[in-house]
Amino acid sequence: MTDNTNQTIDWSLQKTMQDITVGEELSPIYIDITLQRLVMEAAANRDLSLIHHDASMAKATGANDAYANTFFLYGMIERLALEWGGLKTFIRKIGPLRMLSFNCTGDKLAFHGKVSEIIINEDTVILDVWVDNSGKVSATSQVKVILPK
Amino acid sequence: MASDKPSWGMQGTWEQTLSYVGKVVGVSQGADAVDASSVRRWLEPKEFACPLYTDEQVAIDAGYDGKIAPSTMAITYGQPTHWQAGDKRFEHGDEPIQIPIPVIFEVPAPFSLSFATSMEMEFFKPLYHGDEVTITHELVSLVEKELRVGKGAFFKQKDTYRNQNDEIVAIGILDIFRFNPVSKGDS
Repeated sequence: MTDNTNQTIDWSLQKTMQDITVGEELSPIYIDITLQRLVMEAAANRDLSLIHHDASMAKATGANDAYANTFFLYGMIERLALEWGGLKTFIRKIGPLRMLSFNCTGDKLAFHGKVSEIIINEDTVILDVWVDNSGKVSATSQVKVILPK
Repeated sequence: MASDKPSWGMQGTWEQTLSYVGKVVGVSQGADAVDASSVRRWLEPKEFACPLYTDEQVAIDAGYDGKIAPSTMAITYGQPTHWQAGDKRFEHGDEPIQIPIPVIFEVPAPFSLSFATSMEMEFFKPLYHGDEVTITHELVSLVEKELRVGKGAFFKQKDTYRNQNDEIVAIGILDIFRFNPVSKGDS
């Protein structure tokens, strides 16, 4: 089930290494790929490749429509991890990010994550992250974060 | 007349391609320093409201020296100018502006198309407002491969992101498959 309200994050909350359990799921983020969002994103991240905002050019490369770029997925994964962990969460590594299918205009995405590994002596948590595009996984990634003790 | 397909990089022989392995194939100087306006415009399409990026005191309380930018914005701050004084006018039929992925656009190869298959980034230092980013792009390796889409090779590009103090902010690894598509007559 999706939620189209804009979730307000309580940034006073902070996860610590003591709080985490393997298998814990992160609150998902739901976001629709509208053409306007792609245009805003291209202007902001400076990846102006036409495939990310021009349907005919995107179709010439095999996609159904203009599609979100890698930078957008990276930024959304950063948002997912930070909103879960809190302000003192340092993102050490994102990847490998594997792009399995296009995320096109008109698609509804959900960014999901869960704790897959806890490395106590390094204050490090590994998250498995995946992008659900209407029931199909369109991208996967691991994220390594450092949390306070 | 312009092609209806984007340009996919410099053409050349495989021997030329091999000669680039282990070499720096491009350096990108970011167009602008980190600032509040560019951070805000990047956050908006992601509906991402985090006070580390907008509130100096919140960032300091979280252990930083001041307001920061999202770590993944290093990619954006390493992008060069798209136009500057003296450049030609943008005209109908021009090749579209592309992001700097030198292993696609500057390493000659006997392939006509490409796509990225995987990317990873490690982050070492925060990006502070006022920081400037430079990216050094290297071709790390080539692996020939035949995939369903055609014959080609995986190109591994290593991008080292440095700030104005020559400190490494991030390192990115990008895997790109450059290939010739299977023609309709091929089995």
